[in-house]
Amino acid sequence: MMQEQAFRFGRARHLVGIAGLPAAASDGVGVIVLNAGLVNRIGPFRLHVEMTRRLNARGYPTLRFDLSTLGDSGASQESRTRVEQVRADVDDAMSLLERQAGCSRFVLVGLCSGAQNAHSVACTEARVAGAVFLDGYAYRTLGYKLRYYLPRLIDPARWKRLLSRGAPKAAEKNAEPVFSVAPLPQAVVKADLASMLDRGLKLCLIYSGGISNYFNHQRQFGEQFGPLVKHPGIYTRFLKETDHTYILTGDRHRLLDSIEHWLGASFPVAHAGVQP
Amino acid sequence: MIDDDAELPFFFGPRRELFGMYHASGGHPRKAVLLCPPLGQDQIRCHRLYRQLAQALVADGVAVLRFDYYGTGDSAGASADVDLARCIADTVLAAHELRTRSGAGRVTAFGARLGGNIGLGAASAAQLAGIVAWDPILDGHAYVTRLDAMQAAMGMDAQRFSQPRMVSDVSAQWLGFNVSDRLRHQLVELKLEASPVPLLVLDTIGQEIPRSLSVREAVIRSLQPPTPWDDLARLEMAILSHPLIQTVTGHVREAA
Repeated sequence: MMQEQAFRFGRARHLVGIAGLPAAASDGVGVIVLNAGLVNRIGPFRLHVEMTRRLNARGYPTLRFDLSTLGDSGASQESRTRVEQVRADVDDAMSLLERQAGCSRFVLVGLCSGAQNAHSVACTEARVAGAVFLDGYAYRTLGYKLRYYLPRLIDPARWKRLLSRGAPKAAEKNAEPVFSVAPLPQAVVKADLASMLDRGLKLCLIYSGGISNYFNHQRQFGEQFGPLVKHPGIYTRFLKETDHTYILTGDRHRLLDSIEHWLGASFPVAHAGVQP
Repeated sequence: MIDDDAELPFFFGPRRELFGMYHASGGHPRKAVLLCPPLGQDQIRCHRLYRQLAQALVADGVAVLRFDYYGTGDSAGASADVDLARCIADTVLAAHELRTRSGAGRVTAFGARLGGNIGLGAASAAQLAGIVAWDPILDGHAYVTRLDAMQAAMGMDAQRFSQPRMVSDVSAQWLGFNVSDRLRHQLVELKLEASPVPLLVLDTIGQEIPRSLSVREAVIRSLQPPTPWDDLARLEMAILSHPLIQTVTGHVREAA
């Protein structure tokens, strides 16, 4: 049985993480999982625990950890922007996993704000060989709007309801957004992704039905990012039926199947892992 | 920056399966508090509050251990492995670990929701000096019924899913976590029993504490604001409460 190890680490020993270290030394990639929003390192509904243990069983060293001021991690007391802090934290995380498992290249995994952070680091960090963006950057395209509005425009029941009740009052609308990803401009993200692919990174973009307020079809990957989604280094998948945080265990299994399959195809492990 | 010894993450137990975070208070503390987490999504929602409570207690010179039961948090095991009897056994181990690390003779337990019930279950074996239970589960059958109803409603929630989910998709789970038949049965049978040690119940949801709980040295105190434990719309929002932290730290400070 493989045991995980707990670490306090980082330039100010302010970070807390759990490393899963398969028995054999790794000559491949290590996988680092970033916080999803404000949830601590175990992830929404323990998603990150299930993910890292499955990947450990396939032979990948992993680290799930809390960025500065999230979960159990403290502040580094440095004067840096949040983006700089995230980059420095991930740099510390990569150094830890390199020391513990011997891997020198890394795949970052992030959901929602975690995807943003993974994107930000992957733009500049040479040790990043791949990234999994779960509900990362997305933009309402013309296709999105047609798919969203057309069925509503031609739905007589909807018109009937609207005419009988009038427009919903402001208070009736959900004034408390649960998920929000402050967007970088679409052109910037597109250029970033193209640059990552040019540098040889492998990218996995999996989006859920839980972000249907700005993403609603597999085709939208192409609509927003253009021909680069056909690049052999990029994998895209839209899991329409799932919610944003994979609350159902069957949905989590399907997500983890996709990630595991992509990782195995993109970064094959030479040796077998051990069952955690 | 955090003092190397101030907050130590580690694994403990005979097979090092349990995750713990030890908050040292420095010196030789006379008192220690064991923070027993609730189960399921309540545990994730309370994570920050537990950390804040631990830090507040440490500032008062009290050593603290936070930990995860087998099958929860960072501890080994899958969610389907969670077992109430094992949670109680893990709590006894954790109390021993806290005593060993801190040297404190007096260990009080704090637990939110099922964490309070688990602390009560472990009280004698763990030789606890007292328990603070925050909105403990009074009636396991009613609790299970409520979780089933919330799970069914969640599967139909148009804010979460673009299409209602099949019954088979949502079955055998409660709000994000697999649930074994064993745990379900254990919870159905659960009642808040008389406490063998001094018990403080902190009530934020207006529960009607049964007369049968008029146990030796039990104190019931109401706190505001109400805690939205069962609000599906806030299922993924952290639960925070400064009044609760102040009350618990004050209670521990005043305890002999």
